[in-house]
Amino acid sequence: MSSVTTDTANTQEEAQGKDAAPQQPVTLELKQVSYAYTKGGKKVLHDISYAFRSGAVYAITGPSGAGKTTLLSLISGLASPTDGQVLYQGKDLAKQNRYDFRSHDIGVIFQSFNLLPALTVSENIVLSMDASGKTFDAPKKKIAEELLSEVHLPAEYANERILHLSGGEQQRVAIARALSYDPEVIVADEPTGNLDLSTQNDIMDIFRNLAHDHNKCVIIVTHSPEVAQRSDEVFQLAPLRRRPAAKKKAATPKHHA
Amino acid sequence: MFVFKNAWKSVIRNKGRNILIAIIVAIIAAAATIGLSIRQSANTARETGLENTSVTGQISVDRSKLINASSTSSSSSSGSQPDFSAIREALSDKELSLSDYQKYAKLSSVSSSYYTETTSLAETDSFQPVSTTSSSSSSSSSSSGSSDSNAQQPGGGMGGGMESTTSSGDFQLVGFSSDEAVKNASNGSFTMTSGEVFDYTTSSDKQVIISKSLADFNNLKVGSTITVASATDSSKTYSLKVVGIYKNTTESSTSTGGPGGGSTANDAANAIYTSVSTLKALGLDASSKVTTTDSSGNSTSSAAAQISYTYVFNDESSFKSFKTQAKKAGLSSDYTVSSADVEEYESSLIPLNNLSQFALTLLLIVLGVGAVVLIVLSLFNVRERKYEVGVLTAMGVKKSKVAAQFAIELLIVTMIGLGIGAVAGAATSVPVSNQLLASQVAQQESETSSQQAQFGRGAAGPGTSSGSSSSSSSSGSGTGSGTQAAAPTQGNGGGQFGAQAVDYVSSVNSTVSLSMVGQLILIGLGLTLLSALVGVIFVMRYEPLQILADRS
Repeated sequence: MSSVTTDTANTQEEAQGKDAAPQQPVTLELKQVSYAYTKGGKKVLHDISYAFRSGAVYAITGPSGAGKTTLLSLISGLASPTDGQVLYQGKDLAKQNRYDFRSHDIGVIFQSFNLLPALTVSENIVLSMDASGKTFDAPKKKIAEELLSEVHLPAEYANERILHLSGGEQQRVAIARALSYDPEVIVADEPTGNLDLSTQNDIMDIFRNLAHDHNKCVIIVTHSPEVAQRSDEVFQLAPLRRRPAAKKKAATPKHHA
Repeated sequence: MFVFKNAWKSVIRNKGRNILIAIIVAIIAAAATIGLSIRQSANTARETGLENTSVTGQISVDRSKLINASSTSSSSSSGSQPDFSAIREALSDKELSLSDYQKYAKLSSVSSSYYTETTSLAETDSFQPVSTTSSSSSSSSSSSGSSDSNAQQPGGGMGGGMESTTSSGDFQLVGFSSDEAVKNASNGSFTMTSGEVFDYTTSSDKQVIISKSLADFNNLKVGSTITVASATDSSKTYSLKVVGIYKNTTESSTSTGGPGGGSTANDAANAIYTSVSTLKALGLDASSKVTTTDSSGNSTSSAAAQISYTYVFNDESSFKSFKTQAKKAGLSSDYTVSSADVEEYESSLIPLNNLSQFALTLLLIVLGVGAVVLIVLSLFNVRERKYEVGVLTAMGVKKSKVAAQFAIELLIVTMIGLGIGAVAGAATSVPVSNQLLASQVAQQESETSSQQAQFGRGAAGPGTSSGSSSSSSSSGSGTGSGTQAAAPTQGNGGGQFGAQAVDYVSSVNSTVSLSMVGQLILIGLGLTLLSALVGVIFVMRYEPLQILADRS
């Protein structure tokens, strides 16, 4: 399996020169996954195989239309693949309760954050904690405040309405929410999309810290070369249109599976 | 827990919308409370009104049925003219005898019974009836026309419970079976001004009490003896001893005849009260026959008196069971068992029943409109919160939980609205329903009075008109064959067209009972579930991915 990562992550992976990932167990695995929005319609993803491990930051890159967000939906259990399987800790997601998976095991930071504007910052975070059904050893509100400091937001933001926050601040709240119930996998869709460079770095630090110090599996969908560069591994999705011409790329993950 | 907590927070958060929904629900609930309380008081009145009061009932011949039967059986040959004699025969054959009545009085449902026998007497020179018109003309008409006017009774009395006792003669001699019968005298209650009421043993035979006006008219005192003649045979006289003089407390219950005259016997003042045993001793009771000869020479034999037999029941349900028991005991379907008390009570409930019907309609409309409004609100609510549904489900909250949360939110709001509405409705239901009832009563009364204006000849009216018409026709066709006793009036019934209006139930004291609260909660739950169901269907249809994708 280790060869899969090396092969797919190709040049950028070599440039990073990091090889810590293979020692870790596989948390999430894509097995020959294909996806089409309509039955029998155009396939957005075709025969993708990949393994994500704990303790590493993965960057999924690729041009627009390559199916990055779709892949993220599959990983986060919002959609089921048309063909193939998504395995979480070795079990097929399609065969388990995906609601439980979403509320317990994976934290998603959406591109548009998907925070509830009517709620305050801490309410948004506590809501996710409640939804997970997990028990916490400290009051939820206190945990939420700790998380805010973890994402470098001042504590007085806790009772602020989401609408009163800037995009970058909302981004951090979304991260805090995704972390609140301590999921194994953290998925982020363009987390640095419209942030300035220093904020971008700040957030990347948070992700790297999560992966390396807290042994989480962090998967980031991004356009940004800087983000990709700071990730441990890069999974480049080829644009679907070009796939028939460049058969090599499509075949690469296949023969390993 | 998560669901309840979220629902509660969400209710608090969306105050504006929820207050709106609560107000709508409160209005529905208030209307429903009023509607339910009206229905309940109508039911209570119907069920408990006669529960603890004794009810009287009578057995009477179902005349229209008999008439129809006999006229159809004999109508083959006769063209337009009904076969009067056959009909009369059928009617007279069906007269129940005293022993028949007494047989049914022994049924277990009857608490007590009493009867009166009514016959008529003619004046003598020494004892004359109270009359506004010249007594000589009245006496001559009555002596010559007694059989005629008796014969008219079937015609005049066909309609049912009119005050149509044997009204020929100058006096009405009424025999009572007991104090209870006296108490319920058809001329209304009375008080003794002097002397005391006869008793019912044979030892006090020929003792009578007379009205004060009659006593004054004839200058009689307690202890005087009066002499009266037989209504059918003026040569036959009876002497009776006055033991008491009474005064009717309800003066006008039986009016004197209209300007047209009518028999003076119809005048309550000319009623002579005695015991049934006196009647028996005089040979004027119902089992005795009198023979009358009419102007064309036909002799007819008929009962000397008419029985009005009254059964007393402890309550309405006993009356109802009497009906079935009497049928079992052999009362044929040619007879009907009726109770003036029950009928009157039921007619007193007409406005309330109308109102109850109206309340039901109101209730259904309110609930229908309310359901539609709530469904629409719930629908908008869910659509408006589509994004929230998307976020919650994307976060891993199950759709069923989201749907439950929405339903609970709606339930909290509707229950608050329901509580407010129920309190408001309960507080206003008494004045509102009394107001509505008052208008119903007014409507009912104007209906009755217009009906009375149309038919309003009073009790004596029909008798008078038929009297004059038949006296002109009697010479020709000879009503003489007429079976005199035809009208076995159940005298107590009072006139259908009588002047006394029914005392309508005109106020309710509706209290909100526990069962009503239960009904209200059921209604509230039903409405909430119905409208929540629509929301649930929408929530279930939403896919988080779709919502979030649409959004971004």
